[in-house]
Amino acid sequence: MRFRTGLAFLICGLFGAQWAYGSAFAINELGVRAMGMGGAFTATADDPSAIFYNPAGIAFQPGTQLQSDLLAVVGLFRFFPSNGPTGQIVPSNGFSGLVKPHFIPVGGMYATHQLNEKVTLGFGIFVPFGLAANFENFNDGDPAITKYPARYAGDRAALQEYWFQPTVAYRLTKNSSIAGGIAFVHTHIFLQESILNPLTDGKDFGKAFASTIFPGIDETQAAASIARLLPEGRLRAAATANSPGFAAGYLYKHPASKTNFGLSWRSAVVNHLHGQAGFSFLNNGTLPQFLPEGTTMNTLFPNQKIAGTFVTPATYSMGISNSAFFNATIEADFEVQDFRRFQDFPINFSQVSKDTATPAEQRLVFNFSNSYLFKIGMEKRMKKISAIRAGYSFDHSPVPDKSVNAFFPDSSRNSFTIGASQERGNMEFSAYYQAMFFVDRVTNVTANINQYTNGDYNNFAHLLGLGLRIFPGGRVTAK
Amino acid sequence: MKQLQSSGGRTRLLAAALPVLLLLAPSGAQAQTLDTTQFVVIGEGLAAGMADFGLRDIYQKASFPAQMAAQMKTAFPQPIIQSPGISGGTPGFNTLPAGLPFTLQGAGRNDFPPQLFVFNLAMPGATVSDALNLRPASPLIQPANTKQTTANLILGYPSLIIKNNVPYWSEVEYAIAMNPTLVVVELGYSEVLAAAATNDPSKLPNVGTFTSDYKTILSRLKANGGAAPQVVVMTIPNPFDTAYFTSLKNAGNYLSGASANQIAASLGLKQDDYLTPTGLLQGVSALVTSNGTSLSTIPNTVVNASTQSAVEANVAALNSAITSAAKDAGAYVFDLQAVLHQVRQNGLTVGAQTLTADYLGGFYSLDGYYPGQTGQALIANQMLAFLNSTYKTNFGQVDITTVMKDDPAGRLKPSVRKNSNPVPLTRRRLDMTTLRGRR
Repeated sequence: MRFRTGLAFLICGLFGAQWAYGSAFAINELGVRAMGMGGAFTATADDPSAIFYNPAGIAFQPGTQLQSDLLAVVGLFRFFPSNGPTGQIVPSNGFSGLVKPHFIPVGGMYATHQLNEKVTLGFGIFVPFGLAANFENFNDGDPAITKYPARYAGDRAALQEYWFQPTVAYRLTKNSSIAGGIAFVHTHIFLQESILNPLTDGKDFGKAFASTIFPGIDETQAAASIARLLPEGRLRAAATANSPGFAAGYLYKHPASKTNFGLSWRSAVVNHLHGQAGFSFLNNGTLPQFLPEGTTMNTLFPNQKIAGTFVTPATYSMGISNSAFFNATIEADFEVQDFRRFQDFPINFSQVSKDTATPAEQRLVFNFSNSYLFKIGMEKRMKKISAIRAGYSFDHSPVPDKSVNAFFPDSSRNSFTIGASQERGNMEFSAYYQAMFFVDRVTNVTANINQYTNGDYNNFAHLLGLGLRIFPGGRVTAK
Repeated sequence: MKQLQSSGGRTRLLAAALPVLLLLAPSGAQAQTLDTTQFVVIGEGLAAGMADFGLRDIYQKASFPAQMAAQMKTAFPQPIIQSPGISGGTPGFNTLPAGLPFTLQGAGRNDFPPQLFVFNLAMPGATVSDALNLRPASPLIQPANTKQTTANLILGYPSLIIKNNVPYWSEVEYAIAMNPTLVVVELGYSEVLAAAATNDPSKLPNVGTFTSDYKTILSRLKANGGAAPQVVVMTIPNPFDTAYFTSLKNAGNYLSGASANQIAASLGLKQDDYLTPTGLLQGVSALVTSNGTSLSTIPNTVVNASTQSAVEANVAALNSAITSAAKDAGAYVFDLQAVLHQVRQNGLTVGAQTLTADYLGGFYSLDGYYPGQTGQALIANQMLAFLNSTYKTNFGQVDITTVMKDDPAGRLKPSVRKNSNPVPLTRRRLDMTTLRGRR
């Protein structure tokens, strides 16, 4: 029994804290029990995933508990561009942002142990921010008109921000607690895009060489012509960072009314990234054949080390729950994430001598605004050891129209969830399903016309989660 | 009849002409977006800016593609040849050896450092086959091979002098390599001119071969799927609409006002023969000396009516093939033949002056079949109007009045004598000013 229990936990855990998907790049869908209630869990916080939702909640969790959740996301992302290069072929179902494999595993692992009536320790591994977008529907050698047209603004991105968070919770009173955690945050970012767009950065390249290639021709006109003689380049950049993160929470329980009130905060993280950028070029440009002896596109754009700064926002949440009626708990949460911190993503290149063409910096500008979420959920205890759940959440997208692209094919969304749990011995099995309805988003930003990111973003996502909670010493009733 | 007019710097096309041009758009075709960023021209002497027996800067800079590009505000690097230029591609006239740099020339190409690429790929004398197959070849200057030298200077410079491993492209290959957005194809004129100007119908191109080559050109240009450029092809002008061919009826204007009967009798010609520019000069000589020489025995002086019939039938067949090939390839057809025919019929009025398609009439240059700067401007304006109507663009027109002020061809004007008052040939008074350009 113990072996099987451990195996089941590990199966979930091995998938834990992998890459993910979320509002912009936030992941709010952690904790299977919590998500059954639409993610409204800040005030309830009665399982180890409270380390994510409200660390103060673990102060009320007796004994030792282990929890592992696994979430599978099947995102159906469709993009119908409103403009594109001459002759662009658009699939009848639009360009798909479906990742391969067709589901994205998201996980979390949590453990709590009550030292005494006042102090409870916890440790969580989870991914509050992540991204897995992939509009790379093509091979390099495919005809340009069949490729995803907005690839110059990016066609693939991955982000994982792992939080390894030890947590200490303290019972201030019999009915209130506070908690804090200092996390080790490891972040990995990957992005891929085409470069030397004939309509944008290709012209910049052309302008630099206009007087050499077309002496006497108007510089702007010459640059536009040169841009069409360049090969399409591909930039792939990957970088990691290790940073500190912080979390805190407060939970108050009013026994008479069976009402809980919770507050939670998770800090912003400034990720100082270091990594590598690689360039490759398609064999489709005329100009490289005429470069001086010893000069190639790869010497102009050498693979090199990069550095950058990527900021993930702070999260503020507040929740209130009540369990006075119908042997059920209802909760409503409000959450704010200050995505306004995420204005841009500068990438600094290291090889910028006069013999190269790499810029000192490429700054991807996003200008996000703050996001907010409203969540409401309920849990009905059907029998002594079983429960069913349902929930709804509205998630306001922080991504402005001009920044909607393959990296962030985002829009506000309405989600509906259902869930259930069943206890077997010292284990509790939980499951939930979420249908995420994205509001259709049509962008028409003048500045994006040459990037071909304008169009109709039509998304939907299925989320299915399985969770396992283990009580190694047997289930202990909370006091 | 109404004339092509330039009024206030704007050329007005005959009301009847534009509908003809518009009809040549592919039936059922929707207006497509026109991107002029990369405007490339495949062609022969007319598109190259050939004039006065040679290719040189003063006319190249006013070639109709160059004038179009200026209006479209797009880069259009050209292979400008330093004056006095390079000869060749002028059937009916002797070809001088390609001895570049020639007298008064410091170099062959005017641009130094050179443009790495040029977009006007038109080569004097280029046939449809040449456009596909004629590539640069070392050495750069080949005195015994003017055509190759011309190809080298246009398509192979600076490739032939910078390093060895760069590609040497034919016109079509070059155009494709430039990743064009708009291609104009002006081909076929050289072939029919070669036959017409030398009174040799056997030189007329085989319609089947021509069609096959033409289709190959269009298919290669369009090979890049939907990202292929917009292509506009031009019909082949009727050589007999040009100033190269002077009927005996009009020849009196250059031959002391003699009547067609007199000229025919004096020079041993038929009434329906045409005199070439060389024929006019030889006719003057023969009439002055009264040596009884029949011009028909002198090469490149006379063109028979039978040749005219054969040439016109061939041109009609080739234009039909061009139109059909364009339709198949999704290209548009610009009826250049109609434009030059209108000039032949009605002349071109620019301000107070009317240019005609007669020899020294001001529209054509001294070779007789390549327009001067003003003529090139007219073609440019008609093309711009065609693009505007086809693609819903709004390109402005070239100010023909301004162009004409600097046009050497526009200064040519024959001294016309009234047939009602002919100067007796016996008096041998020939007005030689007719054969000189005047300011």
